[in-house]
Amino acid sequence: MAYRIGIDVGGTFTDLVAVDDAGRVVHAKSPSTPEDQSLGVMEGLGLLATELGLSREAMLAETDRIVHGTTVATNALLERKGATVGLLATEGHADILEMREGLKEDRYNLRLPPPEPLVPRDRRLGVTERMRHDGHVAIPLDRASLDRAIARLREEGVGSVAVCYLHAWRDGAHERASAEAVRAALPGCYVSLSSEVLPEIKEYERTCTTVVNAYVGPALERYLTRLEARLAEAGFAGPLLIIQSHGGVATVADAVRLAAGAVLSGPAGGVAGARHVARLSGIANLIPFDMGGTSTDISLITEGEAAISSDRKLAGQRVGLQSLDIVSIGAGGGSIARVDAGGVLHVGPESAGAMPGPACYGRGGEAATVTDANLVLGYLDAAGFMGGRSRLDLAAAEVAVDRVAAALGLGRMAAAEGIHRVVNTRMAEGVRLASVRRGIDPRRFALLSFGGAAGLHITDIARQLGLTRVLVPRLASVLSAWGMLATDLRCEVARTHIGDASTLEDEALRAVYAEMEQEGRARLAAARFEGEVRIRRSADMRYGEQIFEVPVDLGTVEWDAPGLRARMAEAFHDRHEALYTYALRDQEAVLVNARVAVIGVLPSLPSEPPRGRDAAAPPHGTRRIHLGTEQEVSVFGFDALGPGQVIEGPALVESSTTTVLLRERDRATVTPLGWLDVSVQ
Amino acid sequence: MPEIDPVTISVVRHRLHAIVEEMGEAMLRTSYSQILNSSRDFSTALTDAEGRLIAQAEHVPIHVGALPWAVRSVHDYFRGRINPGDVYLLNDPYRGGNHLPDLTAFVPVFDGDRLAFWAINRSHQSDIGGATHGAYNPGATEIWQEGIRVPPLRLYDRGELRDDVAELLALNVRHPRDFRGDLAAMIGSARVGERRLGALLAEFGSEATHAAIEAVLDGAERQVRAVIASWPDGVYRGEAMIDDDGHRFRDIHIRATVTKTGSDLVVDLSDSHEEVDGFINSAYANTCSAVLVALSYLIDPETPKNDGAFRPVRIVTREGTICHPRPGKPVTLSTNCSGQEIIEAVIKALAPACPDRAMAGWGRRFRIAIQGRDPRRNRPFIWHLFQARPGGGASPAGDGWPGAGEWQAAGGIKFGSIEVAEVRFPLYFLRHQFRPDSGGDGRFRGGPGGDLAFAVEVAEPAVANTAGDGVKYGACGIAGGRDGAPHRYVLRSGDEVRVLKTKEVGIVIHPGDIIEARSGGGGGWGPPGERSAEERARDRRLGFVTGEA
Repeated sequence: MAYRIGIDVGGTFTDLVAVDDAGRVVHAKSPSTPEDQSLGVMEGLGLLATELGLSREAMLAETDRIVHGTTVATNALLERKGATVGLLATEGHADILEMREGLKEDRYNLRLPPPEPLVPRDRRLGVTERMRHDGHVAIPLDRASLDRAIARLREEGVGSVAVCYLHAWRDGAHERASAEAVRAALPGCYVSLSSEVLPEIKEYERTCTTVVNAYVGPALERYLTRLEARLAEAGFAGPLLIIQSHGGVATVADAVRLAAGAVLSGPAGGVAGARHVARLSGIANLIPFDMGGTSTDISLITEGEAAISSDRKLAGQRVGLQSLDIVSIGAGGGSIARVDAGGVLHVGPESAGAMPGPACYGRGGEAATVTDANLVLGYLDAAGFMGGRSRLDLAAAEVAVDRVAAALGLGRMAAAEGIHRVVNTRMAEGVRLASVRRGIDPRRFALLSFGGAAGLHITDIARQLGLTRVLVPRLASVLSAWGMLATDLRCEVARTHIGDASTLEDEALRAVYAEMEQEGRARLAAARFEGEVRIRRSADMRYGEQIFEVPVDLGTVEWDAPGLRARMAEAFHDRHEALYTYALRDQEAVLVNARVAVIGVLPSLPSEPPRGRDAAAPPHGTRRIHLGTEQEVSVFGFDALGPGQVIEGPALVESSTTTVLLRERDRATVTPLGWLDVSVQ
Repeated sequence: MPEIDPVTISVVRHRLHAIVEEMGEAMLRTSYSQILNSSRDFSTALTDAEGRLIAQAEHVPIHVGALPWAVRSVHDYFRGRINPGDVYLLNDPYRGGNHLPDLTAFVPVFDGDRLAFWAINRSHQSDIGGATHGAYNPGATEIWQEGIRVPPLRLYDRGELRDDVAELLALNVRHPRDFRGDLAAMIGSARVGERRLGALLAEFGSEATHAAIEAVLDGAERQVRAVIASWPDGVYRGEAMIDDDGHRFRDIHIRATVTKTGSDLVVDLSDSHEEVDGFINSAYANTCSAVLVALSYLIDPETPKNDGAFRPVRIVTREGTICHPRPGKPVTLSTNCSGQEIIEAVIKALAPACPDRAMAGWGRRFRIAIQGRDPRRNRPFIWHLFQARPGGGASPAGDGWPGAGEWQAAGGIKFGSIEVAEVRFPLYFLRHQFRPDSGGDGRFRGGPGGDLAFAVEVAEPAVANTAGDGVKYGACGIAGGRDGAPHRYVLRSGDEVRVLKTKEVGIVIHPGDIIEARSGGGGGWGPPGERSAEERARDRRLGFVTGEA
């Protein structure tokens, strides 16, 4: 028997899934170990082996491949616990990072202090050198100034060095020479070059991304090296693949080299799961809605593919690498409700977090949260929360909600319902912005409910948006780990080649793309990949005076026929018109970035066997809830439902990990895999 | 009005905010000009039928206070003739515009057959005709030299575009195609607002929607009154200085006398300088905007900026002054100067009443536009300087933001990439970094300005214009903090060095000339003596301060 193992390390739990040749799935869960995530992973692997009736060593010996989503890079950035970084910059241009393009968040909050840059000014050193945009050297690299700068960095005790010179996107020779000098003078130091991390024009994006890479790189390297060693020691001989922000997977060596590409590795698992759902369910247009404790992540799966963007900001830092376009809004189960001086009820963005948590967790939290409101309304079962593993304190939730009720001049139930409605409004607006912002009408999508808290809110959000279909998988965490296993190897290669697409020669264009394709293929070969390779070409283009580029998929452009440049321009005009209602076909189409995704196709997974044709399960009880009015509704066990069974709202469906509230005019049909397919009228 | 439950009020309040944000998103994504899609110099808002502001997106603060005047101008002019499907335009600063480049599109929103709301988009056009490219004309001494004036104008009549009217406008600006593209985006953005307000009315019903909006406005008023009431009653005075108007006048004062009684404020600007010849006059609506921006910076950031929030303030001006010029005076720079100095005078006045809320002055604007021929591509170019942003003012919360721009934008304007500029223009940037010793000293230090040097690599002479202020007066310190350093821009031509004035036209730039722009720093907050030794050591270590403490 050969296994593939998916590992998703979350904030609280590490989820592990093993799939065998027959498609049989085994799941295990272990507590995450934030100080060294590899401990929780190794423990989880032991539990997973137990589920299979094997020893850990026996299981790992029969495992072909492990795919892993990690939050190590994310946490280093969020908690500001990354490396001590030094930055080498072109002399006279060492403040790019801290200038932040002149922008400040939160316009009216003038008492917001400026953020501390990841590299303070005394560790950002100028080096005498200068490239021109055409690759001509204006000032040769001055070794004396470089050596002085390196000596300073040594005094500062840096563990990581970022190098970002002006126009290095065009020619990285000065950066490479500087890297050699740094490595010679500071052995063991992690070195990031902008010409390798993000060889694209625009110095702010490139500097920021290179600095993030240098900041999270050493922590990711330490963790992955340790995990690889522990796995090898335990008998694993196959490749360990790391899920990347762009949704593909990479080898440990590539992940460490491009550490900034792993900052969304965690949430990327959920998106991979959603893509897998699109494949399994045949619903190609999905909005994964992942509601956590402090925030809700929203993304889009369009025609089975996840949206990608290079315009991301994470923990206040610009990361210009291609990554999944996940919109995060500050509203979740732990979001705190409060009433402002004008009498308006707000929910979030402040959150009670995991500590102290909602009032009903009984860990000292006093503020009313969304979870407290849901408990007061009867949607959650105080005794049966998390399958009975923990009890909720209803009295504490009532005290907290009563405080909000007093500020609003309302009764307890009306206030709880208000909290529920306001958070739904905010989350619905999040979905609207995430979809409408891309010119996409959300109404032709189905909402996919992820995360334990989502099920209580999801059909109301769908209704507010005019969506008519909601899918609720039985075990979303398994889905993430499973989705990772269904993900291909992916190398993103980009070149900035500023030029007028109408004057570039076809042959020159083909040569640029061919060179990028070669680079990607070489990287796959280095990862010992020998299977089928797919190539996806795209370009970022704009009109002469525009600033935002439009990503143009070149998949439909016939590559070897004559007139390539004109057909690329045509593809751009069409895309611009589709997105923005107009095209300016008599204007030049400027090619800013050429992109190639080189995809190593991994063998597909056998599908999960359907559940047996169980009979429809009756409700296991009833509960009084407040849903507009006081009413008694049936409560069903999620795991007991039989395929084809239909449940009409209002009703509750519960499992050890989630509760789903079906409202009036919600009609849920149980799918062959035991999921809820809810029609919202 | 029926009694309305607080939860519906809360839902409507969040929905209104989401609607103006979505209008802004639509504008950002669909506009063509760089000043709109990159620098985001536009605003979206909703008013009721009478022009009371009910929601605005967080874009350009200076736009918003003027909008009610503009709606009233349109409403009064077309009274009884406003129909669904209409679209109106206006830019005249003497009827509620800020300055000519800020064109406003108004879409009326009907509830049945009753006019209920206006969905509004105000956007800064890249060109509005007139004597100089890009709208800023320091030589102007009357508004007709600044561009085309648009009174309340019907562009769409019951859904039908009036082609001749559109053509008249497009013919009078320098880039008609871009203008039409941006105009389409503005109308599209306002129509997004129309559609979603319609959905809001359908969901809650007419009566409940209006009642909830009244409650939202009243709530904002209560929030602002609670803040004002916490300050001591009294008469407070503040003065800000402008270097010159580019013509006859020097050392031009803006004087604010603020009388605070209970939870009311009267802001009297009538003691300000007489109206001037140059384009720094601030038309009445722009003056009101500036005062309301100052108020917005003093109240709690989360309070919605709507009609209710502004009710506690009454604004008094005297016609014939720089804060209320007579029709016909030029005004284009007023969104920067004297708008910024009006904000400064009001905040300086109120600083003793609320030192924990008043922040020090942000640097003033000093822009350069260069026009010439690019020898590499052999075609003409126009480049606007946005680099070398001045420093932000310090506040009781900490040091000022470095290089975050001017007070009236407060970090809302983005400067472009130097690499992209070098690819697209015949420019070579020698340095762009923070300017040491430029932030005003204080318990908290003002943010540093910029130190920029670039060569203009033309083959034949180019021409530059400047527009701005603040080479004599720097951004003000507050509560004992020192002023920020003023700007200093020079032109190096061979061995010759010439200091640039802030309001010049026709500056000749020879091939290879270098412009050095050292922009002003933000003002400091609190007495310098209270800055700790550790903070001073840190300033020196980081190179923000080079002198001895």
